[in-house]
Amino acid sequence: MQKNLVIAGHELKSRLFLGTGRYPNPYIQNKAIEASETEVLTFAIRRVNLQDPHEDSILQHVGGRYFQFLPNTSGAKNAEEAIRIARLAKASGISDWIKVEISKNEKTLLPDPIETLKATEVLAKEGFVVLPYISDDPVICKKLEEAGAAAVMPGGSPIGTGLGILNPYNISLIVEELNVPVIVDAGLGSAADVTQAMELGADGVLLNTAIAKAKDPIAMAHSIKHAIQAGRLSYLAGRIPKKKYATASSPISSGI
Amino acid sequence: MNLIINGETHDMSVETIDEVVEHFGLQQGLVVAEVNGIVIERNEWENTTVTEGMRIELVHFVGGG
Repeated sequence: MQKNLVIAGHELKSRLFLGTGRYPNPYIQNKAIEASETEVLTFAIRRVNLQDPHEDSILQHVGGRYFQFLPNTSGAKNAEEAIRIARLAKASGISDWIKVEISKNEKTLLPDPIETLKATEVLAKEGFVVLPYISDDPVICKKLEEAGAAAVMPGGSPIGTGLGILNPYNISLIVEELNVPVIVDAGLGSAADVTQAMELGADGVLLNTAIAKAKDPIAMAHSIKHAIQAGRLSYLAGRIPKKKYATASSPISSGI
Repeated sequence: MNLIINGETHDMSVETIDEVVEHFGLQQGLVVAEVNGIVIERNEWENTTVTEGMRIELVHFVGGG
């Protein structure tokens, strides 16, 4: 009954994409990654600190398992900057996947949909596997699919807020209208939010802060793994419609 | 020779990008080099000659979501 998620021909057993920022330390990060059973890890690209060139490059901490790497273009304020970061990421040789993330407003970090669409068009044509982070708007999500996105990643709410899914109606419409996978990215705060995303029909979720900043990131990683499975199964099982009044579960006839 | 590396001026005696990377001890790392806005593939580092005032970016992966 359960099929695996496939993105750009790449089959993934786990429907969790996990960010690598903000963990208390590399040990906890590795344990959380292990517990989550994710196969896709996101990273950012930054300048090497030339005063201390040997300070953490995140990849030196990620253990021996095989991962699909998903670098992001965070820090980009327009399409041009995102394209530049994507090309740098690809030149590393570790991945041709790119999460397009373009934000101008530092308070909300909400994605710029017009610049995101431009960058997606260019990068998809260049052969990147493009996964844009975008607002929860069904129209722009469809346009990103048409522009060649391999998956589309609408936000539940602003990055790092833990506000969950602010517009479940939109997420369900996006799921309904797109043919490429839909990954709910950003704003998810707990197992309940993740289950809701999966029950709405999302193909996966991308989390970072919810796990990294939980009191116990490793336990939260376990919890999220189960939440994805529970939500996915619930979606496939088909929930009952909501009704205003009661329907008895026990027979109403032959009472004593 | 003065080179602008990651936005700062560095005075060093090097001839190629390979030597710049080596100067900072970054050969083992997963570093990507960009010269005057163009990505230089790792296998081209030793053939890419640096010139006075060249703008070089050395980037790597850090944690992020």
